[in-house]
Amino acid sequence: MKRHWFGALLVAAMVAGLATSPAAQELKVGASISLTGTYAKPGKYTQEGYLLCEKEINDKGGLLGRKVRFIIYDDKSEPPTAIKLYEKLITEDKVELVLGPYSSPVTNAASTVSEKYKKLMMATLAATTSIWERGFKYLVMTISPAEVYLEGLVDLAVERGLKTIAVINEDTLFSKAAAKGTIELAKKKGVQVVFHEAYPKGTTDFSALLIKIKSLNPDVIAAGSYFDDAVATTRQMKELDVNPRMYGVTVGGDLPEFYQLLGKTAEFVYGSSQWEKSLPYPGIKEFVANYEKMWNREPVYHSAAAYGGCQIYAEAVRRANSLDSDKLREQLLKLKVSTAFGDYQVDERGFQIAHKMVLHQWQDGKKVTVWPAAVAEGKPLYPTPPWQRR
Amino acid sequence: MSPMVGALSLLLVILAGLAVLPFFGSGYVVSFSIQVFMWMALAGSWNLISGFTGYVSFGHVAFFGVGAYTGALLITKAGWHWLLAGLAGSLPAAALALVIGYPCLRLKGPYFAIAMLGLNEVVRALVSYFEGFTGGGSGVSLPPILSIVPVYYAMGAVAMAVTLLTYRIITCQFGLRLLSIREDEMAAEVMGINTARLKLYAFLLSAVFPGIVGGFYAWYASHVEPLSVFPLLTTITMIIMCLFGGKGTVFGPVLGAGLLSVFQELVWARFLFVHQAIFGALIVGVVLLMPRGILGVLQERYRLPRTI
Repeated sequence: MKRHWFGALLVAAMVAGLATSPAAQELKVGASISLTGTYAKPGKYTQEGYLLCEKEINDKGGLLGRKVRFIIYDDKSEPPTAIKLYEKLITEDKVELVLGPYSSPVTNAASTVSEKYKKLMMATLAATTSIWERGFKYLVMTISPAEVYLEGLVDLAVERGLKTIAVINEDTLFSKAAAKGTIELAKKKGVQVVFHEAYPKGTTDFSALLIKIKSLNPDVIAAGSYFDDAVATTRQMKELDVNPRMYGVTVGGDLPEFYQLLGKTAEFVYGSSQWEKSLPYPGIKEFVANYEKMWNREPVYHSAAAYGGCQIYAEAVRRANSLDSDKLREQLLKLKVSTAFGDYQVDERGFQIAHKMVLHQWQDGKKVTVWPAAVAEGKPLYPTPPWQRR
Repeated sequence: MSPMVGALSLLLVILAGLAVLPFFGSGYVVSFSIQVFMWMALAGSWNLISGFTGYVSFGHVAFFGVGAYTGALLITKAGWHWLLAGLAGSLPAAALALVIGYPCLRLKGPYFAIAMLGLNEVVRALVSYFEGFTGGGSGVSLPPILSIVPVYYAMGAVAMAVTLLTYRIITCQFGLRLLSIREDEMAAEVMGINTARLKLYAFLLSAVFPGIVGGFYAWYASHVEPLSVFPLLTTITMIIMCLFGGKGTVFGPVLGAGLLSVFQELVWARFLFVHQAIFGALIVGVVLLMPRGILGVLQERYRLPRTI
C-alpha cells in the first residue's frame, strides 16, 4: 500500500515541480483519474495501468523518438473537476495526447473538453453507449459496452432451456444501460422478461424488490450492479430464500472482495468481467508479471483496460507517425489488434465492436471463467442448489 | 473618506481585471474562475436566508439541481439559447421555494434544517422517477460547448448580482429586520415584524440565484444527472464557504468562496491524500477561533463598516 501512496505523491510532486521547468522534447500525455472519492478503488488500478504503459513505452525508446511523460491529476470522481483538469492539461500543460479518465460519467464530461480542442481521447474505461451517440469525432472506446455485460448469462440460460428472467439495476448511467442490453438480448433469444425495476444509488435494503421477484419465481435473475449493491442483493436473496436457477451481477462480482465479504454465499453466483488474467491473449502473461513487479498486487480488468488502451494509442501514433488528431483517428478506426486486454476494433463512431466480455462463476472460492466456451477454464456448475444446501 | 475611495478603486481594479481575464488567461484559468464564480453565487445565496435570518438550509442544492434540469431540458428539448434557458432556471427554483418555504419556514431551529435536507432527497427522487422526461438516473446530455468564455461572463454576472443584492439588503430596513429575526425572533415579532413573510421573501431571493447558476452549470458541464446536481456535499460546501468568509456580510461569501477554492486547488494538487484532512482542520480552526468568519473578525478588529 505504501508504494501506491508514494507513487501518487510522486506524480503530484512531479506535476508541481515540473510546471516551472519544462523539459524539452518530452512527449506529454495527460489524463485525470479518480484517485480520491467514490471511484478511488478502480481509479487507482487505472492509474497503475497507465503508468506501467508509460514505463514500457520509454523502455522501448519512447514514441516518435521522444520520451513520453504522463501527467495525471486527481479528479476526485467529480465530472466538473475533470472538465477543469482537461482544460488545464490541454491549455496549460500543453499535453499532446490525452487518455480518458475512469468511469462513464467522468468520461462523458471530460470528452467535451478534448472534443472542443480537437484532441483525440482514448477513453479506456467508459462503457456507456450513449457517450458515443453524441457524434463526437475525437473519442475512441476501449472496453465492451455496458449492454453486453450479461450476454454470457443470457446465453447460458438459453442453452439450458430456461424461460424467464427478472432484471434489476441501479438507476445510474452504466447499470441502466447494462439492464437495458440484457433485456433486449433476452427478448431476442426468446427468454421472457417477467420483471424489471431500478433502484436508486445507495439503496441497501432490497427486500421489497426481492419479495416481488420471489412471487414471480423467475429462472434467472440479472442485476445491473456496482459493488455494494451486488453484495447486498446476494446476501438478502439468501435471507429471503429467493432461489433462481441462475443469478448473475454486472460489476462487483469479479472483485476478490466479493468473495471475502460473502464467503460461501458467493458460490454459484455468476459475474461478468471485461478481462481475466487467465485469458489466452497475446502478451498477457508478461503484462501480469510486469504489473505485479511494479505494483506488488494483481492487476484487475481496470488495470488491463487502461494498459491496453494506452498501448493501442501508442501503436496508432507509431503507424500515423504523427500526433495530429485527424491522422490518429484515421489509424485508430482502421486498426485491428489484440493486446493483453484482448481484441480491439471500432466502428466509424469510435465505438468498440471487437472486445469480448467473459462470464465467470464462483466455484469453491475461485473465480472460474465459464463463458464464452472458447476461453472457458471450466464448466459452469449447474443446477444451482437452493441456498440452504450451499 | 479616503479609505472608502481606496477600497472602491481596489474593487474596480479587480473587476476590470476579471473582465479582461479571458483574453489573457488559459482555458484552465477561465474554467477554474467559472467554478469560483459559481461558488460565490451559491454561498452568497445561502447567506441571504441562512446568514441573515439564522434559518440554516441544508437543502439549498435542490434549487441548483432544479435549475440545472430546467436549463438542460429547455436547451435539448425546446432548443432555447443557453443564456435564456439558464435564466429560466430561476422560475421553478422560486416556485419550489414558495411551496416549501410557506409551511417550512414556520418550523424553528433544527426542524427547518431537517425539512430542507428532506426536500433535496424528495426532489432528487422525483427527478429520477420521471424517467421519460428527465432521463432518470442517466440524466440529460447537452451538446458540447464550444467556448466557455460566455459562461464565464454569465456566471460572473450572477455572482456580482448576488453580491449587489446582498449589499442592497444589508443597507435597507428589510436587512435589519432579517437580522433581528436571527438575533431574537420572538422579540422581532413583538416589535411588530411580520417574520413569516420576511423569511419567505429572503428564502425566495436565496432560491432564485442557485436556479440560474444551475442552468448555466448544465450548459457548462454538458451533462446533468441526479447524482451530480443534487449532492448534499454542494450544500455543505456553500455553508462552509459562507461561514468561512463571514455570514450575514456582503463580501463574506465572496471571500470564502474565493479563498477556499484557491486554497483547495493549490493544496489538493500537491498533497493528494492529506488535503481533505488539511481542509477539515482549517474549517474546524476557523469555526472555533473565529466563528464570525474572516470578515467578521476584520470588521471587529479594524472597526470596518458593517455593510461590507
